[in-house]
Amino acid sequence: MKLQREVYIAGVGETRFGKHTIDFDLLGREAALQAMRASNIDRTDMIQSAYVGNGMNDMVAGQTVFRGLGMCGDKLPIINVQSACSAGAMAVYCAIKDVATGLTELSMGVGCENHTMHRETGAAFSTARSDIEAMHGAVMTGKYAMRAVRYMHETGATIEDLAMITVKNRKHATHNPHAWFKGAITVEEVVKSRMVAYPMTLQQCCGIADGGAAVVVGSLEMMKKLKIEKPVRVAGVVVESGPYHNRPRDITGDDITETTSAALYESSGIGPEDVDILELHDAFTISELLYYECLGLCKKGEGLQYLRDGQSTYGGKCVVSPRGGMLSYGHPIGASGAAQIAQNVKQLRGECGGHQVGPTPKVAMSHVTGGGLSGTEHAACTMHMLVKGW
Amino acid sequence: MAQEEVQKKKTKEKEPDITFFHPDLLEVPQDGSLPFMKGFRCKKCGQLDFKTAICTGCWGEEFEMVPLSRRAKVYSFSDIYIGQQGLDTPYIFAYVDFPENLRVFAQLEGEVGTYQCDEEVELTVGPIRLNNDKLPILSYKFKKIS
Repeated sequence: MKLQREVYIAGVGETRFGKHTIDFDLLGREAALQAMRASNIDRTDMIQSAYVGNGMNDMVAGQTVFRGLGMCGDKLPIINVQSACSAGAMAVYCAIKDVATGLTELSMGVGCENHTMHRETGAAFSTARSDIEAMHGAVMTGKYAMRAVRYMHETGATIEDLAMITVKNRKHATHNPHAWFKGAITVEEVVKSRMVAYPMTLQQCCGIADGGAAVVVGSLEMMKKLKIEKPVRVAGVVVESGPYHNRPRDITGDDITETTSAALYESSGIGPEDVDILELHDAFTISELLYYECLGLCKKGEGLQYLRDGQSTYGGKCVVSPRGGMLSYGHPIGASGAAQIAQNVKQLRGECGGHQVGPTPKVAMSHVTGGGLSGTEHAACTMHMLVKGW
Repeated sequence: MAQEEVQKKKTKEKEPDITFFHPDLLEVPQDGSLPFMKGFRCKKCGQLDFKTAICTGCWGEEFEMVPLSRRAKVYSFSDIYIGQQGLDTPYIFAYVDFPENLRVFAQLEGEVGTYQCDEEVELTVGPIRLNNDKLPILSYKFKKIS
């Protein structure tokens, strides 16, 4: 999307991610309130439009979140956004669009989900039975596992190589209070954990989790009015839908991620070499590895070397998953995309404490796909490019 | 409404769930010849695809049925140990590529740990899951070349 005027992030909020006893609406409310307070918003009638991403919980998720904040009524249009894992990021995208087009001065996007649904354990996550692949037993773990099997077949990579992604991301999350799984874990522990879908072992899969995150966006004028002192500008946003066909395709690549990122680089004028930190869709180890290549951080076929050389951690070319990614947060479908953006903003503002990337990053990118729809790699892909300063 | 009609409505039997998936995709000839999967070529632009109401390439509405090869190639697969609710584990699924340049997602018959990428496989017909009436649903599957 071409931004017709400058859009800034005023403030962000996020809950702790993990297993919660409270429902999606309270998670969304907590995050929304945090984001508004961080934006110096002190009245219920200042936000002019709100978008709420949720995957599984409620058909009127947004209204359920905002009624408890006293914000429902004639002042606030609330629009619910769905696109599976991309929903939270897409909600933020919609809020940005309102400000960019001049429709509003101040809007917000929220992502929230109770994905555990208070169960102790569950079956593997699948798409709706109406999908032909789901009818034949497809589960998301297995679909990503097929990408790993093919990647290993073509490159000679091993499960141990894949496991290094979990080790890295859990290490990044060590001091992140919002992350669920964090701290030291060895390659051996990752490889020896329970086999879920060969070669994806349990510790290579994101946890089914609950959480909420929120992002307030506004015009330059509004930032001054709110006295925002650490400006973060939206340099680019792109949403695409997945190309559909039933012909063979290279699943060690990802058509939608490749075209979405190309559009983001083009529209923002910022290339992959300039990105300091990146939150991507690391729902499984293999996906992070593939996306190094798809996003152009390195050349096709060099993802593993990029990881081994430490280019995706502290001191490397681009710190990937500095919050710990989905492999540490877990992945409450509709919440994750908004949480990526919330963390990127905090990183650009130098507010991440123990997991702050140093020197303070200037450019942060986020990437989240959504929906296991047959005939596509993913139904949706949403990306945001954020930069520090006015 | 008459008393009998009300009674009739109440006792109306539930439609049985499907036991075969799917006549548009899979043909099991009654004469005992081997089953095959079906492609449909758009008469307007020539695009070959599985059955759709209109061609996704040109919106053409007339198609010619093309029987697909019975042998195809495993592009990638995974042995599933934690699967969908209601499916016995382990099971195996794969992307299988036809020589006609179409890909299908299907279950593989056989033991876990025995398949590899680019292996040639053969079409077979077997149960993929139980339906809502707890009866098996038959569909296309692939197996090792005998």
